[in-house]
Order: sequence, then structure tokens, then C-alpha cells
Amino acid sequence: MSSLDSAPSAPKPTASVKLVLLGEAAVGKSSLVLRFVSNDFQENKEPTIGAAFLTQKCTLPNRTIKFEIWDTAGQERFASLAPMYYRNAQTALVVYDLTKPTSLIKARHWVNELHAQASPKIVIALVGNKLDLCNEGGENDEEEDRRKISTEEGRKFAEEEGLLFFETSAKTGANVRDVFLAIASKIPEEVVNKRGGVAGVKGRTGAGEGRVDLESRSGENNAGGCAC
Amino acid sequence: MSLLSTIRNKAAALTLFDPNNERRSRDEIFRQTYRLPTNSTLQASISTEFSIESSALYFPGKLLLSEAYLVFDSIESRSCYFVMPLVAIRRVERLASKTYLFALTIQTLHGLKFNLQFVGLRSQIEHFCDQLKQNLRSNVSDMRLLRKFLSTLYSEYMLSDMSPTGPDSKRDSMAVPPGGLGQIFKYPGDARKLRDKSKLRLWAEYMRDHGRNLTLIRLPTFQKLIRVGLPTRLRGEIWELTSGSIYLRLANPNLYQSLQKEYAGRTSLAIEEIEKDLNRSLPEYPAYQSEEGIERLRRVLTMYSWRNESVGYCQAMNIVVAALLIYMSEEQAFWCLSMLCDQLLPGYYSQTMYGTLLDQRVFEALVEKTMPILWEHLVKSDIQLSVVSLPWFLSLYVNSMPLTFAFRVLDVFFLEGPKVLFQIGLAILRINGEELLDVSDDGSFISILKDYFSRLGDSAHPTSKNDKLREVTKFQELMVVAFKEFSVITEDIITEQRQKHKNHVLDGIESFAKRTQLRNLHKTGHLSQTDLSNIYDRFFQALQSARLGLGPTKTLMDMESFQIFMQGITKWADEPHDFLARLFHRWDVELRGGLSLQDVVTGLGSIMEEDIMNSMAYFFELYDEDGDGKVDREGILQMSEGLLYITRRLTTKKLLEGEDKSPQFTSNSASPPPGQAEASVDYLSSISAFIRRAFEYATPDVAEGDAYSEKLIPVDSTSSSNNKVKANAALDPNHPLHITLPTFRMVVLADEALEHFFAHDFAASMKLEPAKGTLREKGTLRELFDSLVSDSMRVAGEVKRRIDEMERQAREQQAREDAAAARTSNQQQQDDDDDDDDNVREKDRDILTGLEIEGVVDVQDRNRLPSRPA
Repeated sequence: MSSLDSAPSAPKPTASVKLVLLGEAAVGKSSLVLRFVSNDFQENKEPTIGAAFLTQKCTLPNRTIKFEIWDTAGQERFASLAPMYYRNAQTALVVYDLTKPTSLIKARHWVNELHAQASPKIVIALVGNKLDLCNEGGENDEEEDRRKISTEEGRKFAEEEGLLFFETSAKTGANVRDVFLAIASKIPEEVVNKRGGVAGVKGRTGAGEGRVDLESRSGENNAGGCAC
Repeated sequence: MSLLSTIRNKAAALTLFDPNNERRSRDEIFRQTYRLPTNSTLQASISTEFSIESSALYFPGKLLLSEAYLVFDSIESRSCYFVMPLVAIRRVERLASKTYLFALTIQTLHGLKFNLQFVGLRSQIEHFCDQLKQNLRSNVSDMRLLRKFLSTLYSEYMLSDMSPTGPDSKRDSMAVPPGGLGQIFKYPGDARKLRDKSKLRLWAEYMRDHGRNLTLIRLPTFQKLIRVGLPTRLRGEIWELTSGSIYLRLANPNLYQSLQKEYAGRTSLAIEEIEKDLNRSLPEYPAYQSEEGIERLRRVLTMYSWRNESVGYCQAMNIVVAALLIYMSEEQAFWCLSMLCDQLLPGYYSQTMYGTLLDQRVFEALVEKTMPILWEHLVKSDIQLSVVSLPWFLSLYVNSMPLTFAFRVLDVFFLEGPKVLFQIGLAILRINGEELLDVSDDGSFISILKDYFSRLGDSAHPTSKNDKLREVTKFQELMVVAFKEFSVITEDIITEQRQKHKNHVLDGIESFAKRTQLRNLHKTGHLSQTDLSNIYDRFFQALQSARLGLGPTKTLMDMESFQIFMQGITKWADEPHDFLARLFHRWDVELRGGLSLQDVVTGLGSIMEEDIMNSMAYFFELYDEDGDGKVDREGILQMSEGLLYITRRLTTKKLLEGEDKSPQFTSNSASPPPGQAEASVDYLSSISAFIRRAFEYATPDVAEGDAYSEKLIPVDSTSSSNNKVKANAALDPNHPLHITLPTFRMVVLADEALEHFFAHDFAASMKLEPAKGTLREKGTLRELFDSLVSDSMRVAGEVKRRIDEMERQAREQQAREDAAAARTSNQQQQDDDDDDDDNVREKDRDILTGLEIEGVVDVQDRNRLPSRPA
């Protein structure tokens, strides 16, 4: 039905949507983005200093959404910088680590913060990451199940707060695209129009729409394009 | 003595933390200008003409002396200066001089000789020289450490064949000093293209004539040599020299090694965070794919996190240290990181990162000033500049530019200080200004800059016909724009701008922290958001923390702060008391010996509810220490003391109905209003009735024959003389007894005033009004005096408490003896509601003690008044 597409946009309307990722350090925020934008996974990713910025398009039947993704630093002391990044965000991904109970508490804090401080119509998705470390029902006897937060617990919290809910693995790619697709289709039309940013304005094509990452060193930016 | 030292401490704390008063002290400026260790003070200074014998150099300037350093700085700013550790001075000779003024010849350990001709009053000169002599003498013992220290410097190795003691075989015996990872894993960049060899030769020549490392004389050539980029082998050493971290390393021999021993095997949150990032620091540089590189990075970051636990570890430090370690030994990098975090970039990596946020604000202000059109465009397009620039500053451009260029920026940064970060940032925007004006979204904005960084090595003028011009790289152009066009951005401007924006930035951080903390509180009872907000403010005020935005403060309240806190919200907690201590321990649910904000909120939530049954139960439980549901004789007496303590500042409804009792500390004024005195008496009688009844209805611990029936005695049967005998007998310590919660309730409810107290007055005696003076106003002179006054009040309170305690014990002893006597004689006055003090019963003495307390406090208050500022 709907698909992610990096090809030059079809004659559908394209709208920019600002998305911010929040969550405890090392829950896999940057990895989720990397999976979504480049369909890639790195074990040793440089920590995000302040925030990294990337873009990726997502094509729906009736429109194309260009995500402007703000991937924020997870270390606790960077938290006070977060308002700078979630300012004007229409959507947020609050990420926790399925194997780390404290990360869900932190996620709750972020959801509260967003409800209180961000745009009132913000669409929030709660994402439990590192599904690959969960080995439910002992499918694979070799590996232990490292899950510490049950699906029910996450889902219940999401329902209470009116959030989209997913469990993902950036490593295997499980459910990652679904998160972004679900968000894209949940964005109300008027919110998109309100910000009204049509991608690729003022003739800056190519580099401007390609992968942009504040953190990664020069030389690797020739990867360009979105590989979903 | 203690008062004076308190004033001094407070004053010091104020200048340190008060954002409104950031006049740096003379010593501070001295240290910062010459990057000296923090224990250096400016002891003497004198006008001096400096000249080097071997060359024809001559500079008028000023000679400055600290405990361990001799500093010269020429009048013409930075055309010549040196920072010479006294241990590096070999000889000082007095020159024969024709005039009445005199001169010294100094020979350094590297053989360089220079003259210092003093200018000034003879007495001044004498004083300076005496001090110098004294300091030289006290530094002699450290000279033996020098040899080992010098062996860690590459310049020593490089120039060892030119030792002053004549050419010897020293070089052969000298081991290559420990260096950076670059020695093993190659230095980044093409050495030939960087003209590394030529640069090294130039440095060797400079050092031959003007000294090296500790004894180096800094002339304009020195700065030029740095501007063109340092040779790889000398880079680490010059970084530590210009940053001043070399002086820290010199002053703390072996500290890095002993830290490693001390903290071996220990873990912390910071270490966990460091471990997460070790594999993610400059991962493309080969050393950081190796065990050796990772180990060095781990040790430096970990040891710093122990040395400065308030900073611990902040992401971006890993990148900076990874960069330093390419050119520096571990120990050099460790001290350089200390210098960076503690002095060069204060607050950058702190818990709240206020330094980073502040400098971002300053950077924006400077962009607005110097490039108004671009600034307007950014505002109009809603592009937040700091999103781009924050990583530039935080990782010193190491993460933004190709490494070879980032190191060139670091070369100048260590020499000239933080203003360089601003100059480079402004130049980047200036050079890309045209293009940036064409885009209006964050993505394009970021990509233009990223693209620019990746082409820094390209020609800045690729189409020019002029060969020379074509050779100029974009990076060279950047340096020129940064240091020529933006030479107006001086350290003073940065300081001034930081000053201007500091409060705003700290407010932002603090309101974020407050918002977050308040939102995460639970079990808040009936407290409103406003109540919580006021508790929060008062909580941190009582902790007497500096501005929260500046970094980690205490988060647990001790007994002393708790009393100050309670004093702020009640009329009665203006001095320490057993009751407060009981509350404190009750609220300290996690037995940490301190109360967190959550503890205080939960505690207040539970006692501020106007619910008579809860209040009574709560009060009872405070005195039921072992939780067995019984309070014994001693407990009953303490209960009554507690009641008296709280009520001594309260007025009963009956007497003062309708009167506005807004001022919180009425009792602190010279004399209590008559109404209040009456009110105290009113409670006093209720409380003495409380004691009497409590003992009357108490249950003996040892089950006696009539214990059961005693319990059933109705309240109105007090007139029976038989009971009175029993009540008096109850004072007998030989007959242990206790009351239970139901008895306690019954006794309380028997008295209207007490009933009202638990139903209403107690909860109402606590008012969560906004803290007077927000944290920001703290630090004014007025506050200084106020806190001094409250300090002395606390001291007075403490002394009095001890005296009272002794008196109370004596009185208890007396009461016991009296009670024993009472058993044999049945002549006691019975009517305890009597208004004649002479007739009070023995067991009421404790209450009187309370009245005495009140009297003492009033007298003290009166005495204290004149010491308050008008």
C-alpha cells in the first residue's frame, strides 16, 4: 500500500514534518534513524553531541511527507537543551530500551515534558527498542530473554497517554519503517499545512535533500539519498 | 573569630557565584591572564625593563611575582612576555648599576641570560627583591623534581645536544619522551604537505635563542609560529605550554599515577557513561580501533571523572580527549583536560552545561551585532543557530572540521583562549553568508556548512590568475577572516556579553529543572502546583545553594537546613527543637540522614491536611519511637514539650478571632503583643491539662489488678480524690506507664483548644507562601547580612538548646524527687487552671521551661536588633 520512497517526488503534495527523537542515552535513537534513513546499522556510532539532523521522505497514497529528523543527545545533562530541538516539532519519537527498566521511567518523563511544553497537537510515538535482545518463549534456546519491560506495560502506558506504540529493533530493522509510516499517516493535514514548508524550496536540490548529519565526519556524506 | 571568618567565607562565596557581581579579583585576573595554577596569588609587581644579552631585544614592561612564578609582560600588549617557574631559574645576580636603581641578571636552567632593570621607588624594588629571594628559596626543594619533569618534554630531547653544560653524550642517554598516539599510529595529515620538517627547524631555532618549555620567552614570532600550525612532534608540548596545563602538571607530580592507584577497580555513573562512548570517539583514527588507544582514552576520561566528580563525564569530552591524545601523553592530556574544563571553558561540560548554553547565547548576540542581515534572515526563517554551532563549541570544532584543520584551530585556541571559538564561528558564517541567505530551512542551512567544512582544503580562489592567490586554501581564508576581520572580538567583549546574558540563561536552565522536578514528584497529597512550586523554591533556598543553573548542588537537606526551611513556612520553627528532629526522622523514609525534595513534599502533604484524626495519629506516631503503639512517661513529657513548642507562637482562635495575623515572626519583634501573651497562656493551661490527663489515663506497663478498670474511668470523674492520688503516683518513675493512641485522642478531645489545634491550628500554622527573594536576588549585601544574622541566631539557638537541655534534666530529677515526696503527703494544690504562677504544680515545671524559652528568645531578639542593617 504505502511505501517509503526516495525517488523524485511524484505529483503528490510534499510537506515537511519536524520529528524529534527523545530518550535515555544508548537506547538506540540514532540507530533507529540510521535504519530508517539509510537502512543501515552500526555497532559503534559516535555519540550525538547536541543533536544530529537528517531528513527522509515517506510516501503515502495521498501525499509525501518529508521528515526533518532531530536526533537528540541522550545523556542526562543534555536534557536542558531538548526544548531547543522539540520546539515546533509536529511529532516525536520517545524511545526506551526493552531491556532497561529505567529507560521507561525516563520515557515517561519525556512524554510528560512534551505534553506540557511542546505544541499541543504533537503526535507522539512510544517506541520500545532492542527487540532483537528479547527471546520470547525461548524460541532460541541459546540466547536468554533479556526483556525487562513487557509489551503490555508499554502498551498500557501508551494507551493512557494517547500515544502510538511500537516495539522495534534497529539492529534487525523489525517494525522500524512501520513507526514512521504510522506517524506519517497520523499527521493531521492542517498541521502540515500550518508549517507549510514545501520541501526543496529555492532550488536547493540534491545535497539539500540528501542525508545531512551534523555529527558524521565529512567524506562520508557522499552516500546521499535515502536507501529504504 | 567565627563571625569574621563567616563573613569572609560568605563574601568569597558571593563573588564566586553571584552573577550580578562578577568583578574578578586581582588574583583571578592574574591567574587567568597567565594561565597559572589556581593557588597562585599576585604577591608583588614592579615596572621593569627587560633585555636579553645575546640579542638586542629590549622591552619596557611589568614584572609580576607569585609564590612559584615570575612573570614579565611588556607594556605593548603581548609583544613580549614570559611565565617562568621559579624552579627553572638557576642564578640571580645583582648587576652593578650607576644609578641608585638596580638591576638583576637571571640565568635560566637552559642557559639563557636576561637582564631586568627595575624602575621605581627604591623601597618598592627592595621589597620586590626580598620577596623574590624568599620565594626562590622556598622553591629550591622542588628543583630536584625538575630533571624527571624535563625528560617528558620533546623540546628537551630535540635540543639536548645543545645543553648549556656543553655538548655531551646526553642525547644518547636520553630516552625519547612519552608522546601521543600519533607516534605509533601516524599523525593525521600529510607531513610533507604540512611542511612539518621546516616548521620543526624554525621552532628549534626559536628555542635555541629564546628558551624552551618552562623558560620560553614569548615574542611575536612565537605567536606567528603557532598561527602557521604546529609541527606534530612539538604540538602536545606547545598546547600544554600555551594552555597553562604544563604548570598544573609541574605542580602535581605523580598525581595522575596516584589517582589510578586510588581508584583502581571502582565504578561510578560517569564510568558507565564513559564506557558507552569509548568505541565511539574519533573511530576513524586507527588508534581508536586498537586496545592501546582505547585504554589511554579510558584512563584519561576516568581519572578526570574522579578528580572532578561534579563534572564527571560529558559527551564531547571523549572527542576532545581523543584529539588531545594523538599529540599528548596520557598525563599531558589529563592535565590539559583539567585546564579546559576548570579554567578555559568553565561550565561547558558541567551537569547543567550552563557554560555551553551561555556561550551559544553570546555567539548569537555577536552574530546579530556583526552580521545583522544574516541574523534577521535566521530569525525570519526560524532557524536556530545554536543547533548548528553548539557542537562546534562543545567539541572545539574537532567533530566538525577535518582533523588536520581542527588541530590548527586548537593551536590558536590554546594560545588565545575561548574567543577563538567565537572568531572562527563568526568567520564561518561570514564566508558562507551569501549562500546561507538563500536558504530558509534547517536542513539546507546545515548542509551548506557541512559541505563547506568538507572543502576546507580546496583553493579559496580557484579561478584566480594569480598563482599565489590560487594556493590560498579555504582554511587559510577562514583563519584570516577570523583573526583579522573579527579581531574586534576580544576577551573583554566575550566577558561583557557573558555577563549580560548569564541571568537569562540560568533562568532558563533553572525553570527547566524546576519544571521537570515538580512534574516528577509523586504523593503530593492536597498540595497545589503553586504550593509545590513554593516548596521547591524554599527547599533550595534553605539548602543555601548557589544558583542551581551553575551545576550540581546538594539535593538532600540536613537537620539544620530543615529547620531553616520550616522556619520559612511556620511561625514556630524559628529555633531547633526535639519536635523538628522527630519530623525530620519521620520524613527521612529512606534513612539517608537527609531529606530530598520528594521527602519534604510527601511530609508536608501529610501534615498540612486539616484532618483531626490524621493529625492526632501523626503526632502520636512521632513520639511512638518503636512503633509499638505506646508512648511512655518520658514520651508524654516530650509530647507536651512539642505541643508547647508549636503553640508558643500560635494564638488561639477564641482570643484573636478576626484579627489579621499576617506577619510571620511577630514573636521576634521587641515585645509580644498582649493578645499573644494571653493566647500562650491559654495553650499553656490546655497543655498542662493534657499532661495531667495523660498521666491519669495512662496504663501501667506492669499489669496490676486494677489496671483494666482504670482504663474505663470516665473523663468527668476527675474530681475523685482517689484518682488524684493515682495521677500523682503516675509520676513515680518506679511505676512505668504508657498511653495508647485511643487514650491520646481522648485526652486531646477533652480540651477544646487542643481539639482545635489538631483540627485546624496545626495545619494552618504552616503557610506555603512564595519564598521571599527568588534565588536570583540572593547574594546582595542585604542577603549577606540577613544570612549572617540568621547564622548567629542559629548559634544562639544551639547554645540555648544545650543549656535548656541541662536544666531540663536537672528539673526532671527534681520532679522525680518531688513526686516521690508527693506520695507521702497529700497536700498538693489541685487546681491546675490557676492563673497564679506560684501555685503551679510540680509536674507543670516542664511547661514553665517552655515559657522561659520564650522569655530568653525575646531578650535575645531585642539584643540582636541593633546588629541588623538599617
